[in-house]
Amino acid sequence: MKPVIEFDNVHFTYPGDELESLCGVSLSIEKGSFVAVLGHNGSGKSTLAKHMNAILVPDEGRVTVCGTDTADEEKILDVRRRVGMVFQNPDNQIVANVVEEDVAFAPENLGVEPAEIRRRVDAALRLVGMYEYRMHAPHLLSGGQKQRVAIAGIIAMQPEIIVLDEPTAMLDPQGRKEVVDTVYSLCRTKGMTVVFITHHMDECIAADRLIVMSNGRIAADGTPAEVFQNYGLMEREGLDVPETSRLLRDLRAAGMELEGEPLSVSDCAALIARELSTKRSQI
Amino acid sequence: MLKDITLGQYFPGNTVVHKLDPRTKILLVVVYIVGLFQANGWAGYAAVTGFTCLCTALSKIRPAAMFKGVKPMLFIIALTALLNIFYTQGTPILPGWIITWEGIARAVQMMLRIVLLISGTFLLTYTTSPIALTDGLELLMNPLKKLKVPVHEMTMMMSMALRFIPTLISETDKIMSAQKARGADFETGSLVKRAKALLPILVPLFVSAFKRADELAVAMESRCYHGGEGRTRLKQLRYQTRDWIALGAGALFLALMLVLKRFGL
Repeated sequence: MKPVIEFDNVHFTYPGDELESLCGVSLSIEKGSFVAVLGHNGSGKSTLAKHMNAILVPDEGRVTVCGTDTADEEKILDVRRRVGMVFQNPDNQIVANVVEEDVAFAPENLGVEPAEIRRRVDAALRLVGMYEYRMHAPHLLSGGQKQRVAIAGIIAMQPEIIVLDEPTAMLDPQGRKEVVDTVYSLCRTKGMTVVFITHHMDECIAADRLIVMSNGRIAADGTPAEVFQNYGLMEREGLDVPETSRLLRDLRAAGMELEGEPLSVSDCAALIARELSTKRSQI
Repeated sequence: MLKDITLGQYFPGNTVVHKLDPRTKILLVVVYIVGLFQANGWAGYAAVTGFTCLCTALSKIRPAAMFKGVKPMLFIIALTALLNIFYTQGTPILPGWIITWEGIARAVQMMLRIVLLISGTFLLTYTTSPIALTDGLELLMNPLKKLKVPVHEMTMMMSMALRFIPTLISETDKIMSAQKARGADFETGSLVKRAKALLPILVPLFVSAFKRADELAVAMESRCYHGGEGRTRLKQLRYQTRDWIALGAGALFLALMLVLKRFGL
């Protein structure tokens, strides 16, 4: 798979700050993959996200989106059209008084024909399941619904990559589920590349790849199973691991030999049962 | 209490007046105001009143709603009427009295003028959604872009302000509750004391409004916003037959008012 976003030794310091927010990050994100980024506050995960659509430009190193350097001022619109960005606070990213007008905002900015805008808006709203709400006022919707409208607003731009910067941080459990389900289905059924930044471990379990950020560096990078197995690192970072990983670690510490790192409860139970039955047959 | 604030309240509906192009309605209001100020006799005022009643009836806005718009202005209306009654020269109604017949006539006409002015403009905001209104304004002021007037930016700010009114109201409510929970008192004390009590609300409100503005700007840029240049709109405004009829009626109204003025009626 070819990479759509590439970071090459990126350094970045916010003006007025002494500490670097990103210190030498290199990574590449493959087309069609679901990449989750975990990290506690101040680990540099939002700074990482803001480099992906040229809101921030590296002090040192390079970020390329589909071959375009984000530092190139001339191509900034092209980069932003390719990389859609959803933010934490749904209230502060909705610009219009009516849901469908808001979804139309990005294509309007790009000068798309009115008939085509109509088609894109309807398709995007259907995709996130908010079509019935198209004439509603955004401030009357729930948090999860607002965030889905914000996602629709990005889809209508027809980007290749969607970057979500802690989209669930301000939502209740119901809203979180709505948003997470929507984002996963975008990646799995529409083949969209997704970069999902969060500090909820459970939202990362189904991702293709999990990156853990710490103090501006990549602390771990691999499949969720690989990353969660590194229990020591996760503990140092103050991050939760799934209950299954915790149980498996304790069983291993007690001398049980268990292969693999299943992340769902049923798979984990099956693995333990298998191990127990082989033990019994040996006795 | 904060929920009661309504700026340019809109009553959704499906009448001819609602369906008119916002540009037509804005132009009609301008024509209406010019026409209103031509009236200087009873016939003129009767014509404007008739026109206003006709438009209100067509829009199916309840007279009670119209009265609600006039209500906050009652004090000013009464004051103007009083001043006109006492300060107009002419024939006294009784020998030696300061009140004149001319004064009474003028007072009634002044009251009518203010009430009609308010009703006419309220009819516009009652029947036009804020978005349609800003869209209409932007298109009407388009020629001013040649004079380097930032028309798009102005209307964008206006619609943004309208979008954030409910958000900021609920935020104010939250801050007020938070300050009340810390023992703040907004309801008692002298006027100065109450004004001072508002400070702990305004400061956090401003701080958060600036933070919102900052985040909103980043979100808008992320969605490729780069000013009005090359921007298209989801909803295109197009003049329909009914718009031409309405504009024709407006022109006739203005002509009638000018003729009435010419003959001093």
